[in-house]
Amino acid sequence: MDRVNRIPILKLGHLLLVSIQVDMHDRMALALQEDLAERIAETGARGVLIDISGLEFIDSFIGRMLSDIAGIARVLDADTVVVGMRPVVAITLVDLGLTLPGVRTALTVERGMAMLPAPTVDEDPGDEEAETAGP
Amino acid sequence: MNAPIGDEVARVDLRHDEGVVTARQRARDVAELLGFDRLEQTRIATAVSELARNAHRYAGGGEVRISCGANAMRVEVVDAGPGIPNLEEVLRGDYTSATGLGRGLVGVRQLMDEFEIEAARGTRVRVAKRLPGPAPDAREVRAELARRGAVNPFDEVSRQNEELLQALGEVRARQKAMLALNRELEETNTGVVALYAELDERAQRLRDADERKSRFLADMSHELRTPLNSIIALAELLLSGKPPLASEQATQVSFIRRVAQDQLTLVGDLLDIAKIEAGRLELELEDVALSELLVLLRGQLRPLLKDAGVQLRFDFPPAEATLRTDEAKLIQVLRNLISNAVKFTPQGEVLVSAEVLGPRVRFTVADTGIGIAADDLPRIFEEFVQIPGERQKARQGTGLGLPLAKTLVGLLGGEMTVRSTVGVGTAFTIELPLRHDVDSSVPDVTGAVLVVDDDETSRYVVEAHLRDTAWRTVAVAGGEPALAALAEALPAAVILDLSMPDLDGVEVLRRMRADARMAAVPVIIHTSRLLERWEVERLEGLGAHVLDKSRTSRSQLLEVLSVATR
Repeated sequence: MDRVNRIPILKLGHLLLVSIQVDMHDRMALALQEDLAERIAETGARGVLIDISGLEFIDSFIGRMLSDIAGIARVLDADTVVVGMRPVVAITLVDLGLTLPGVRTALTVERGMAMLPAPTVDEDPGDEEAETAGP
Repeated sequence: MNAPIGDEVARVDLRHDEGVVTARQRARDVAELLGFDRLEQTRIATAVSELARNAHRYAGGGEVRISCGANAMRVEVVDAGPGIPNLEEVLRGDYTSATGLGRGLVGVRQLMDEFEIEAARGTRVRVAKRLPGPAPDAREVRAELARRGAVNPFDEVSRQNEELLQALGEVRARQKAMLALNRELEETNTGVVALYAELDERAQRLRDADERKSRFLADMSHELRTPLNSIIALAELLLSGKPPLASEQATQVSFIRRVAQDQLTLVGDLLDIAKIEAGRLELELEDVALSELLVLLRGQLRPLLKDAGVQLRFDFPPAEATLRTDEAKLIQVLRNLISNAVKFTPQGEVLVSAEVLGPRVRFTVADTGIGIAADDLPRIFEEFVQIPGERQKARQGTGLGLPLAKTLVGLLGGEMTVRSTVGVGTAFTIELPLRHDVDSSVPDVTGAVLVVDDDETSRYVVEAHLRDTAWRTVAVAGGEPALAALAEALPAAVILDLSMPDLDGVEVLRRMRADARMAAVPVIIHTSRLLERWEVERLEGLGAHVLDKSRTSRSQLLEVLSVATR
């Protein structure tokens, strides 16, 4: 069940792209958090783009999960941008009193990409920085 | 998943993680059906998500009940958890937990119009959102939800899984019970098989003993007859010899002769019984006039009455009749009955009568003697049984006469009955068919299976086995009628018993094989006798198949039949 119910993480150059298209249950969200941390360490990605345009709701748990991902990524030397949040979701988030601390957001994938660091000359995934910054 | 009641439109169980997802999706769907706009739908769903998660995480499960009231959509989330310890603080928004619980509840209050919480024993949160328009019928909402596949696949699968596990458990239990039952049956079966083997063995031993007795009787009778005949012959010689004996000596010798004669009769009876039991007694059928028979009998019995105070009267039948039977055997039986009657009648008369009743003839020997007690009646036909009494002591006998008489009557195709009153008299009745071979009016056996057996039960069993098969059966009760039938037409096969009183099976088989016309008819020997290896080989040498009567099954019989007639 675990294998099937994981959110796929795509490597796009020096970035990791996560597109959440399903309504995640909590275990799935936690699994994504772990998977992403692992992939960042593994690939030495400098940026993580999380597309939540498919999400209809963000409650406190999912919100906290997004914050946590951003925090973990920062420790692993990667920037996180959440893109594609629906307006209704944004309003609800505010109503709920959630502010997604530490999470940068952008309206579209392009804008999000622009906010992330440009590819360095050395695109080798296994650079020293990622290794020294490993958990 | 429980069915919704009243204005309730959906119910979600929160035992599993996925229940939280289902709950918020269901809430969103209901909100949409109730006419809420996208934002409100998201708000409601998010609020339900918060509440559902709290129930799932802190109470290990619970239930979300969504209902549509008259003017509001209501959601109730109940759990049986520990409740919320610092509720006031939480609701003021002062409390921040590490898991984000406090923020959630406060947020929910913001998202919904009404908010009520009870956290005494378990937690019960009721929230509501005013409807934007008129309330649709709860039933319609339910129907629409059902149409959208309101059943969460995960819930469905886990429910089915549970059912399967339960069914599996039941099946296992049943299997166990069956195994136990099976074992028990096997044990019982073993016991039954052992019992059968034991019974078989005992039956075999009894058969052996019986056969040994018959053989012993036959052998001994022969051995005894020879010296007895010599004694009688020598006594005759002495009595009629020259010079004549002194009167004292003549009396002594005539005593010797009489005793020897009695002994010879006894030995003859024994031999007859042995022969009958060995199936070797042959009947010599001939036509006998009834009156002649009685005259002959009267002549033979007159000497018996010399010194008795008894009158012997013969009552002749009004019309003459001819009897086809074995005259010697019939006379032997009647003589036995009459001499018995004379023996046990101190005073009075013995009446011998015969009358023809349709196809049968009835002989009656009635006396005015001492009679037989009702208790003893059934035993008088048993071998070597003598009823104790004054008169019996004075008249020594072997107890063989009556059993032999009854057996002979049976052989002649008749039956013997007795009526008696103590102190008044006894009447023996013999009923015989006028023609002993009446029932052997040759049946048509063409293409049929000819069943030859003197035992009615055995014939019936074979016929019953072959009923509903392609085989037609014709049954005859002895070797003679079998040969008579075979002389007329050829059957498909013959099922032949070995021990038969008139003509035994081996003889029938031998005669069939000797006759070129019926030499090729398949023969199946069907016997209860346990055959020696050489006997089986001899029978098979004559082209017969051998089946053991005591353990023949229907399938076995059919198989042997099909092999024999191939």
